[in-house]
Order: sequence, then C-alpha cells, then structure tokens
Amino acid sequence: MTLTSCQVDYHPYDTRIQGECGINAKNISRIEASTFGKTTIRFAVISDTQRWYDETREAVDALNARTDIDFVLHAGDMADFGMKAEFERQRDILNRLRVPYVVLLGNHDCLATGEEIFRSIFGAFNFAFTAGNVRVLGLNTNALEFDLRESVPNFEFLETELANYPSAATKTVVAMHAKPYTEQFGDNVAKGFQYVITRFPGLQCCINGHGHNFKIVDIFDDGVLYYECDNIAKRTYLLVTVNEDGYVCERIKF
Amino acid sequence: MFVSGSSFKRLLLVVAGVLTVSYAAAGSRSFGDSVDSRPLDDRKHFGYDSWKRLLPTHVKVQYAGGMGVVSVGYGWDYGRKCRWETDLLTGVLPRAYSERTHMTFTLKQNYIPWSVRCGGCFAIEPFSCGIYMNFISGENYWIREPDRYPGDQYYNFTSRLRFHLYVGQRVTFYLRSDTSLRNITLYYELTANDLDIVAKCGNRTLGLDDIVYFSAGLKLQIFGTDR
Repeated sequence: MTLTSCQVDYHPYDTRIQGECGINAKNISRIEASTFGKTTIRFAVISDTQRWYDETREAVDALNARTDIDFVLHAGDMADFGMKAEFERQRDILNRLRVPYVVLLGNHDCLATGEEIFRSIFGAFNFAFTAGNVRVLGLNTNALEFDLRESVPNFEFLETELANYPSAATKTVVAMHAKPYTEQFGDNVAKGFQYVITRFPGLQCCINGHGHNFKIVDIFDDGVLYYECDNIAKRTYLLVTVNEDGYVCERIKF
Repeated sequence: MFVSGSSFKRLLLVVAGVLTVSYAAAGSRSFGDSVDSRPLDDRKHFGYDSWKRLLPTHVKVQYAGGMGVVSVGYGWDYGRKCRWETDLLTGVLPRAYSERTHMTFTLKQNYIPWSVRCGGCFAIEPFSCGIYMNFISGENYWIREPDRYPGDQYYNFTSRLRFHLYVGQRVTFYLRSDTSLRNITLYYELTANDLDIVAKCGNRTLGLDDIVYFSAGLKLQIFGTDR
C-alpha cells in the first residue's frame, strides 16, 4: 500500500507536488479572456504571506466579498522556509479566490528546493500578460538568491517583451518582489533596469513587496512610483485601478 | 493504492484502536491469570557485558518520516525494561522526488514506556514517542547562511537540519530466543517537524492534520542473543 498525498512526508524539501500545478499560466488565460477589450482594469495586490495562513485566509474572504476586481497579484514570498508544504497550503488558500490570481517569486520562495517547487506549482519566474489594455510584467528581482546562476533581473526577457509588445495593450504595470536598491536587487543594475522598464509604452507604476511596509517611493526621481505592499500580517491589500484617466493605487484594510 | 485524507484518518483510527483494544485485553487477561507468572512488561537485555554494551542491539528500516523515502540503520536499546532507544539511520531521497538524489542522516531518540506481552508470541507497545534530527546532503541546503547574505541572521534558520517530534505505537513479535533474530517490531509514527510546529503555533486555522505525517518501520532485534 502506498500512502500518498500530504500525509506522508519523504522530506520537507522534497519536490513531490500534490495538487494543482502550472497555476500562473492557467490563470493568465482566464484573466486575458475575462478582461478582453476592457479599458478599466482593477486588481488587488497581496504580498509576503509566508507563515501567515490565518491572515491570508482573511484576505481571501475580504477579496471574495468584492465584485469589482479582475484578478489578484501576489507579490512573492508565499513560503518562509522554501518547504513544499508551505507552497501547497498557500496555493490551496488562494485557490478559494473567486477571481484568478498570479504569483511572483519572492526571495524566501527560493530557499532550498523552493525554486523547483515554485516553478512546478506556479510557473516561470518572469511572465507577462495583457489584462484589457494593460500589459502586466511580473519580474524576478531576487538577484541575491540566484548568485549569478541566472540573469536577475532578466534583461533579455524585458527586451523580448518590449519587441513583442501586444497591440491590444497601451499601458504597462511592472510588478516585482524586491524593488531596486534593496539588498536583493543588485545596486549596479538598478538604473539600467529603470531605463529599460521606462521604455515600455504607458508605464503607469511599479508594484513590489519584500519590505513588509506600505510605501510609495519615487526611487529614481523620474515620476515612476513604486508602491510597496504590506505583508499580509498587517491585514491590508493594495487595490490598483487603471482606466482611461490613468491609475489609482489604494491601500485597503480588511 | 491511493488513500484519501478521510480514508487515511480512518485507517489510523483503526490501527490505533486495534492496538489499544489489544492492550486492554492483554492487561485484563494477564492480571487475572495466576498461572502465567510472566510479567506484563517482559522486555530484557541479554548478553551485554563490558565492551559488548557498545554493540548495536537492533537494525531498523523506516518508510518516510521526513528522512527520505526509505531509511536503514542500527541502534541501541537501553535503560530499565529497554525503554530507551537511540538510532542512527541513513536514508535516500531519490531524484524522482527531488531535484537530484539526496542522502539523509538521522539521529533518533525513542522512548517506549510500556510493553504488554499478549500470550507467548507478541507484545503491544501502546505508546512510543521521541525526537529526531535529520541532516540532508546537497549544496542547496545550509547550516550557516552563505556569506552572500548581509548580516549574520538574514534568514535565521537552517535548511539542512530538521528536528521532528513523533508519537506512535508498536507491535512486537517474539521469535525463538536461541536464534540471532530475537524479535521483530512493526511500528508507525505520527510526526511533525520543527518549522511546521512553529507555524501551527501562530495559526489557528492550521490544523494538526496539516502538519502531522505518517511513517512506518520495522525493527529487527538481532543482537545480544547469548543469555
């Protein structure tokens, strides 16, 4: 008899995923289909939910009570220690959301075998999708975790995205876990990164997590604001609305 | 065979129930039976004088428990009524279940307070508990954080070492005492690791069944045969 599922643990860091995988790709399809042709897009941002299962459940309940959001973006750090069970538990909680969600890679998600587990459950570390007329870039900016194993941030990805920018999109929102000039990002590439993302059509703002405290910062004094989402323990989320007049980013308590 | 969550809980309840009922039945029979003068807890040490005390007393094979798919090793039982056991186990986490094959090494301390002899050939050990420390090989894990992280406590935990607590039950089958294989013990354990226990403490919605895992094993008492 083989006892499977979550009841048998070969190792806390084994990569034997139970349950749904490839979530970002599936949910991106849902988002693109449900927002097709829309010129007003509203999405919620939660971040740094690691080990705060109670608060994450409350956030899901609060977001499910709304009827005006198109999708939810998780700005990274689902796991605290990179253990498989942490990702699975967080995924199972977020799967209760009525709207589709996408998840960015956080630095805690990279620990031990976390990268492999994240890739299986959620997908690529850099991704992009079009919600209505808004192109959303989800970027891996955890350079410290990759220690030159991969290009972080990945300028080739950005270059390709820029070259293949979809005609349906006129505005861009850039989301990442760690913002420039944090210890994760790599100071040397910060200005180059900003130069590249400001080439994208109609860049509205940047969204990030990692800092655990709501902040609005114009890091490069160029008018591009970085909105840092609280960790979920503070029981808040960001509500971003992009419409024909521009965008609004609000911090909502629940 | 795949076992769903509810089936799994039923299976555990049945196993625990059978062992507990056997324990109660064995207890009442032995206390009321004046002909059988054998003590209820019949565990003894044999053949351990001087340096031979250093020899292991048993070998074990364990399935799961956060120490690989399968672990094998040896250990020592000691103390009054052999209530204490210390094991050293080596496990394997095959590539099929990780990014590559990993070896694990476990130091396990067990406490088995009671053993109830049921007739001539087997005994129930209705409760066991213990703690173990597991070490995993591989460059993705650390005990001390790599130097690239700022400060000394950027993450402030070790991914290479995990500590586990467990409770369990056992049944021991006694064989002929003049053979090198003196008895065989089957056991199961319900285990939780340190990081999950910490998470459970901070989250009321995280149930025990979210953090407790099943493991099982076999103990062969093969040493110390000379009386």
